[in-house]
Amino acid sequence: MAGPLALALVLGLASLSFIMRATGPFLPNLPSAVTERTTGLAPALLAALVAIQLTGSNGILHLDVKVPAVIVAALLAAVRLPFIVCVVAGALVAATLRALFHV
Amino acid sequence: MSAPVRRHLSYLMAGMRATRSTSEILQAAAPIALAVFIFGASFGVLAVAARLPAWSVVLMSALVFAGSAQFAALGVIAGGGSVLTAIFAGALLNLRFIATGIAVARSLPGGRLLRSLLGQLSIDESYAMSVRAGAPGRPDGRTLLVTGAFLYGAWVVGTVIGALLGPVLGDPKRLGLDAAFPAGFVALLWPMLTGRHAVRCAIGGAAVALALAPFTPPGIPLAGAAVVGLWLAR
Repeated sequence: MAGPLALALVLGLASLSFIMRATGPFLPNLPSAVTERTTGLAPALLAALVAIQLTGSNGILHLDVKVPAVIVAALLAAVRLPFIVCVVAGALVAATLRALFHV
Repeated sequence: MSAPVRRHLSYLMAGMRATRSTSEILQAAAPIALAVFIFGASFGVLAVAARLPAWSVVLMSALVFAGSAQFAALGVIAGGGSVLTAIFAGALLNLRFIATGIAVARSLPGGRLLRSLLGQLSIDESYAMSVRAGAPGRPDGRTLLVTGAFLYGAWVVGTVIGALLGPVLGDPKRLGLDAAFPAGFVALLWPMLTGRHAVRCAIGGAAVALALAPFTPPGIPLAGAAVVGLWLAR
């Protein structure tokens, strides 16, 4: 990625994140019913990101070596292994299957 | 024990815990700092492998300081998405900081301006530690600041190490690094699935994203998932 584009990415995300963290002292106390709802954001978005990573360029599910990679990562995360172990194992599963079956 | 007495006691205990020394807070945060360091290093490796300039990767960690948001933005870029979609994805994940910002605002010292600057040290881990150290409804400000600053250092240094290691590793696709993103997202997601509501949000978010993806421009499926997450959270 070209430098200016990378800078735009960094500064765009950084300024939005700054604003979101900075607003607290300027906002009234929201009812807990509202703040509790934001706890649903992260699981919904991360699950959506997993799903989107598994779609092809046409937006339709494209089942390839990433599927077993995700399953292995999920199993390792379920037995509470650290993040890096899950990521490396997922990458290794994909790389191995690719090397074996040329997919 | 009656409820008012119990509440009073828990305030007292919280007060005692709040007097923990800085070194005690740092000791408690050390294992988390190690995990954050390794997470930062893996982010650095993957970001450089996704062809982001190393300086921009380190700058992102220094200015954004939010692992899952940075990872999400990077995942969009690595998948061929646009810069705007990547910013959008990361920003959506950071929306929760508005809620945590309100919660910690009362516990931080100084005027509004200083408190909004100090609030930049909130990430999931430092917020969780400050909630545990504080009284009900009042996170401990000092724990947030000390833990946040410690984890900030670990995050940035980890990213630097990862960005330096990245180019040594070689061809991303042959190493399966494209699969590292969905694997990483699922590893971030799994520990969050602690209750019925979270599971419901995850399934709903994935389903809506998949339903929208074939018909809508990038970013819209994520926005749909965010709406479903807010809707199903309780």
